[in-house]
Amino acid sequence: MNPVVTGAGFITPIGNDRPSVEQSLREGRHGIEHVEFLGNPDLPIKVAGTVKGFDVESPKWRDWSWPRGYDIPKDVLRALAPHGVYAICAVEQALANAGLLPSDVADDPATGLYCASAGSAMLLHHNIAQMRAVRGARGNPLGVVSSIAGTLNFNLSAHFRITGTVCGFISACASSSHALGYAIDDLRLGRLNRAIVVGAEEMNADTLLPFAHMRALSNQADPRLASRPFDVERDGFVGAGGAVALVLEAPGTAKKRGARALTVAAGWGQASDGFRIAASHPEGAGLRLAMERALADAGIPPSGIGYVSAHATSTPVGDSAEAIAIGQVFTTRGLRPPVGATKGLTGHTLSLSGVMQAAFCVLSIDGGFMPGNPHLGVAAPECAGLELPRGTVAAAPGTILSNSSGFGGSNVCHVFAAPAQFTD
Amino acid sequence: MPQVPTPVPSAALARFPAEVLEAFQRYRANGDASALESVVIAAAVDYRPAGSAPVQAVSDTTRLQADLGYDSVAVAELVFFLEDLFEMTITNDDIMAVGTIGDLRACVIRKLANKSAGA
Repeated sequence: MNPVVTGAGFITPIGNDRPSVEQSLREGRHGIEHVEFLGNPDLPIKVAGTVKGFDVESPKWRDWSWPRGYDIPKDVLRALAPHGVYAICAVEQALANAGLLPSDVADDPATGLYCASAGSAMLLHHNIAQMRAVRGARGNPLGVVSSIAGTLNFNLSAHFRITGTVCGFISACASSSHALGYAIDDLRLGRLNRAIVVGAEEMNADTLLPFAHMRALSNQADPRLASRPFDVERDGFVGAGGAVALVLEAPGTAKKRGARALTVAAGWGQASDGFRIAASHPEGAGLRLAMERALADAGIPPSGIGYVSAHATSTPVGDSAEAIAIGQVFTTRGLRPPVGATKGLTGHTLSLSGVMQAAFCVLSIDGGFMPGNPHLGVAAPECAGLELPRGTVAAAPGTILSNSSGFGGSNVCHVFAAPAQFTD
Repeated sequence: MPQVPTPVPSAALARFPAEVLEAFQRYRANGDASALESVVIAAAVDYRPAGSAPVQAVSDTTRLQADLGYDSVAVAELVFFLEDLFEMTITNDDIMAVGTIGDLRACVIRKLANKSAGA
């Protein structure tokens, strides 16, 4: 039986709760702001998908603040990275949205935790610089658990007392899609009744600026021009941070406690390009196979897809590859499902991207709308045949295919469906 | 001519009451070890994990684990703070011998004496 999504939590550039995120998606309102990284006005990177309401810029947790209403005690904060603060807030929201108390998941061996983040580059740098300054004589005792990749798993499992599966995923911008996929598999296999999937990334120079040195970031200062997936003049992605959490449950578990199923996680698939370290296969070969595998896993033909949530980050090579791959799966069969790229509004949240997109799909299905491409001016030639609405489509999407791709050519795709199609 | 005290090595004491900062500066100025008591107590209270009972009166006999709710990570954090503040090294064996605030203060004084003796 396919698991159902019963809760979602959001700390994103376009809103820090479900209503505000949904409103931003419906209205095509972006969350990209002017930034000046490292106090250097000469840097070519002028904008980012910022996280509002938090101050976690300092490497010292004592300096941090976050929106009211979240419970983050001192003995938890001391081992957290900035993105761990976002993540705890997102998980608290997701549990509440699912109608669960933290005590419902604590010490329950049938609840698992699936995490994705790249760790904290800022804290790694700070802690190692501190250690080197005294030639190794001493260092922050919590430096490792607060900063390395895995910091989310360590901290969230202890804080929420998760005693089922606890694991982390590292596949760059496909990471949280992998986390979601393996959570789905464990639920299908009956290994767990409930899974919390969370992705998070920091919004600071240490995490985002290195992508500028790969020439992957947009140099545009106007947010509407900086992140414009599929546009013929796109010039790179806009870095962004935040956290998103989903609660998935076996359908029987959700039904037994009277929870409302928001969406069915109907299937997923993955395939790699096996091509370049950081560039997609020019025709999106791995992504195409991943889409086909996700559809096969869900038992749905391409004609059963009513909307495609594109990974499209606004990079020249990546968007082109994805447009071609989507065309091969759909256009060549005479199909034109609307394709939307929400990174135009949020920027690209790296490891977080997959589960954030999945949560947007949950809102689309539950709320009956399809995000468009509000920053798209002239579509690139590779997009010929694709249906790329500019504005939000005020109609139920039906079944959604959601794409993600990461460095090394990792491609992971998910299929989400309305609950009525699968239950009862 | 009295030596001008060097600046506080970090802003780490900024969050503590003024008298703690004054005590630290007294120690820095003239090596007055008795001034360390308020610094050690303030740090020990500050680094106790959340959830441990409020401390009305902390004294030399206050126990880090039983009275202040310390766990091993919090002890390591406290020790790191003191090491950084006083620019010294406290070993694992030293930590194992510390049970109370008094033990900790004695440990810091001993380490500082060794440091100033060039040991």
